[in-house]
Amino acid sequence: MSVNYDPELINKVFEVTEPVEINAEEIERYCAALGETNPIYTDAAAAKKGPYGGLVAPPSFAVTMRNGRNFFQSVPRFGRGGFDAGKDVEFVAPIRAGDRVTLSSHVKEIYEKTGRSGTMVFVVIRSTLKNQNDEVLAHIDHRFMNR
Amino acid sequence: MSTILDLHSHSEASEDSRAPVEAYLNWIKLRQAERPLDGIVLTEHRQFNRDADYRNLEDKFGTMVLRASEVETTYGHMLVFGVNDEMVARFDFADVRLDAQTLIDEVARMGGIVVPCHPGRPNIGLYEHYQSRPPLENVVAVEALNGGSRKGEDERSAELIAKHGFAATGGSDSHLVSLIGLCATKFSADIKTIDDLVRELKTGNYEPVDFRPRRKTVPHAVAMVTR
Amino acid sequence: MPNHVNSFEDIKIGDTLGPLELFVSKDQCRAYANTMGMGGAGRFTDDEAARKEGLPGMIIPGNMSLGLLSKLVTDWIGSSNARLTRMSTTYRVPVQPDHTITIHGFITNKNPADRTTEIDVWMENEEAERLVTGTATVAFRK
Repeated sequence: MSVNYDPELINKVFEVTEPVEINAEEIERYCAALGETNPIYTDAAAAKKGPYGGLVAPPSFAVTMRNGRNFFQSVPRFGRGGFDAGKDVEFVAPIRAGDRVTLSSHVKEIYEKTGRSGTMVFVVIRSTLKNQNDEVLAHIDHRFMNR
Repeated sequence: MSTILDLHSHSEASEDSRAPVEAYLNWIKLRQAERPLDGIVLTEHRQFNRDADYRNLEDKFGTMVLRASEVETTYGHMLVFGVNDEMVARFDFADVRLDAQTLIDEVARMGGIVVPCHPGRPNIGLYEHYQSRPPLENVVAVEALNGGSRKGEDERSAELIAKHGFAATGGSDSHLVSLIGLCATKFSADIKTIDDLVRELKTGNYEPVDFRPRRKTVPHAVAMVTR
Repeated sequence: MPNHVNSFEDIKIGDTLGPLELFVSKDQCRAYANTMGMGGAGRFTDDEAARKEGLPGMIIPGNMSLGLLSKLVTDWIGSSNARLTRMSTTYRVPVQPDHTITIHGFITNKNPADRTTEIDVWMENEEAERLVTGTATVAFRK
């Protein structure tokens, strides 16, 4: 492949965030923004009787941890700018109200391909989310398209 | 006697597909009435795995699984059928700037055939390149129907075919299990192997077939309720 | 309206989820972007800013699309003994607000050994073009 980058970029952890506390209000705001009404995500009393024994965030909340807070500072960039091309998320454990979540990220892969928009360089970043007990909550592969 | 094959599909070996081959074959069995396929051709992006072996799955499902490749060239994307060791040694399949004419001619010399795919697609289809550059020589067929085409793309492909007299194929370009076989190619001959397929592609005795369901109008939408 | 699953045993390959038709307005798109701290990115809040980036107009954040596809699956799971364990998405075409989108799902695989099921999910526009495609994995507890 002809895209040039330092091979040492691959697999080196380039960012570990400070813990971010997820509170119930934040989960409520996310549910409101998405139109989510399932009581295990929206009603603490109902959630207590549900499968998780307490209020949890919808699974997709995990991917929002990369936006608005601690957005990637050191991700390699190619071309004029990047777009979110897609994600591959493994939801390992639910994020609960009260969790303090950290993310650790490394560049997993860089490759070039052509498409309707022309020639693009894809940078795949793998982030692992953990809670205060060092339990893995999710693994996220973010695919950023640069052109 | 005829053979219907989806000539363009991607399994989980392609970086943007999550479709296991077995799930494809199971879906074909499930949808046999609407999509009567005899087999599929895996055309993974920018690679060819000589060691991949699907004979067990072929036996299990009674459906052919042939292997080809989708590569990227100076005139857009192209499907390479009949990939052999000589071709793999000659070309870097991961190169997104393969010289199109060289690819077409050398693959033919080495016993295969190159079919430009989704020719109506912007940037990576033949139609747009032909607006400003000399046409390629020795193109036998192009993909007329592609299951991933957006509005206008198959129409541009048809215009190109009419102008240049290409033979026409069809393929789903599926990256999801449920999209396999939506477009395919019907051959008048019996095809059992990749060598049979390459031989028949060179004859022009085939036509694209469209198994996409007719779209009904979108019903009244529910406004997304947010708080 | 989305249907619900009762148990792993009830699932059949070929079963559908949804379809779910939605109209996401520009205001709702802006609200999501602002809530998620993405309001600074003009592409999610302003047509002109988006066009300057080569887009046709304002677009819905990819995370919002992922959220909506995931919601189709979690709505289907409902109160059954199951969990969404994986979601993979590819953003093929920018999703513009103030349009009707339809979200679909198909059960494509069922694995009794680990009690998981695979689901194709995708989002279409009014012209049945696939804007976002994905696959989901749901695991059922014993």
